[in-house]
Amino acid sequence: MIKHHPKFELIQAYVNGDLPASLSMGISIHAEMCPACQQKIAQLTEQVAESSFEAQTIETESTSIGDTSSDTSFDFESMINNITLSAELDEVAKPVTKTITFKTKTYQLPKVLNRIKLGKTANVGKLSRTRLQLDEDEIHSSLLHINAGGGVPEHTHKGFELTVLLDGSFSDDKGEYVKGDFIMLDTSIKHNPISQDGCLCYTVANDALHFTQGINKLLNPIGNFIY
Amino acid sequence: MVTTQTQLPTSISHDKSTHMNESIDHAQLSEWLKQVAELRCKVAFTHLFHFFAPKIQRISRSKFPNEAQSHEVVQETMSNVWRKAHLFDPDKGAATTWIYTVMRNVTFDLLRKIKSNREDNLSDDIWPVIEGEVSQDEAYEDHLENKQLLDVIETLPEAQKEVVKGFYLMEMSQEQLANHLNLPLGTIKSRLRLALAKLKGQLGENND
Ligand SMILES: [Zn+2]
Repeated sequence: MIKHHPKFELIQAYVNGDLPASLSMGISIHAEMCPACQQKIAQLTEQVAESSFEAQTIETESTSIGDTSSDTSFDFESMINNITLSAELDEVAKPVTKTITFKTKTYQLPKVLNRIKLGKTANVGKLSRTRLQLDEDEIHSSLLHINAGGGVPEHTHKGFELTVLLDGSFSDDKGEYVKGDFIMLDTSIKHNPISQDGCLCYTVANDALHFTQGINKLLNPIGNFIY
Repeated sequence: MVTTQTQLPTSISHDKSTHMNESIDHAQLSEWLKQVAELRCKVAFTHLFHFFAPKIQRISRSKFPNEAQSHEVVQETMSNVWRKAHLFDPDKGAATTWIYTVMRNVTFDLLRKIKSNREDNLSDDIWPVIEGEVSQDEAYEDHLENKQLLDVIETLPEAQKEVVKGFYLMEMSQEQLANHLNLPLGTIKSRLRLALAKLKGQLGENND
């Protein structure tokens, strides 16, 4: 059962459209698997919509007419005429399903990711990583696959690290994480996730990992590899 | 080791009064949107435009540095309303919710275009068209706090069911309903009375 959900502030920013695409997708992926969050998102959207269009009602009635007409470039009537000239109707594209194969296992991707361009897969030991081509500067989003028995050596983060479990499970010293879990960590955390039976994760991070333990320090270059 | 894993509050305070606000005539907005979808009605669209465009412009002015961009949001949002109105399902949520998501998505795509120089329009993938479904059903249920009552309502004749659902589940006023269903107020009142009598009878039987 899913135990880890995005916190309220994050859902709120998501509903407002204020999060970067990568984090918004993380929440959509989680919501696809979590009816509880789906419902919270729907309720919050309804409330935000209501207050967006209502808060200004009085103001609009008293001042906006003068307001908008002083803005000479904004001509309501011609915009209406333009828009209604079009006889076009938009249809919703039929959802396509997209799969991805790591080693010998094939996974169906969450709907949100169907149109996203993926980079080439890179492999190091039991880890495989494919980057999403989202172009968000220092924020990197990837699909990370851990083969059975594999793990990520103990590390810290300089920024944040989001992991959404798409399939399989992994554990660290805090416990087990299962399919659908939404795990947001920030700078202060050191952890060392191990996947007994293998897993596929969606990850977003805004800086490289930093490995902290003995010989693993030699691995610091792969911090850049993973996230 | 520290974890900053934070749990959501178990419930969001859910104020019923936000469902049907007095200052927004939801039934009317919904009706206009339906007319745009079914009749391609320019008059209805003009009404929607006058209600939403100034508000959309003001909201987007706070997100974009210049006026031209906020005009673009208005233009794009209202074009989408015109071209996608048939995708709106009044049973699944309010017109305000639907138009809000259209505006939010247009804004998101435009901001992404400005920041990342990408025109991939990801918003419709991130926020699938209809989100209201789950909440609406849930809202009905906990409002009534009685699944049984819902079942009994389903057994009413169509004309009465319509009125009862509008009045109790969508929290429309009798006047709004008369307007919405295009019926005299007296008819609404008598249908409601008949339906209530029937409901009381049925629930009484079941509860004995
Ligand atoms: Zn959740």
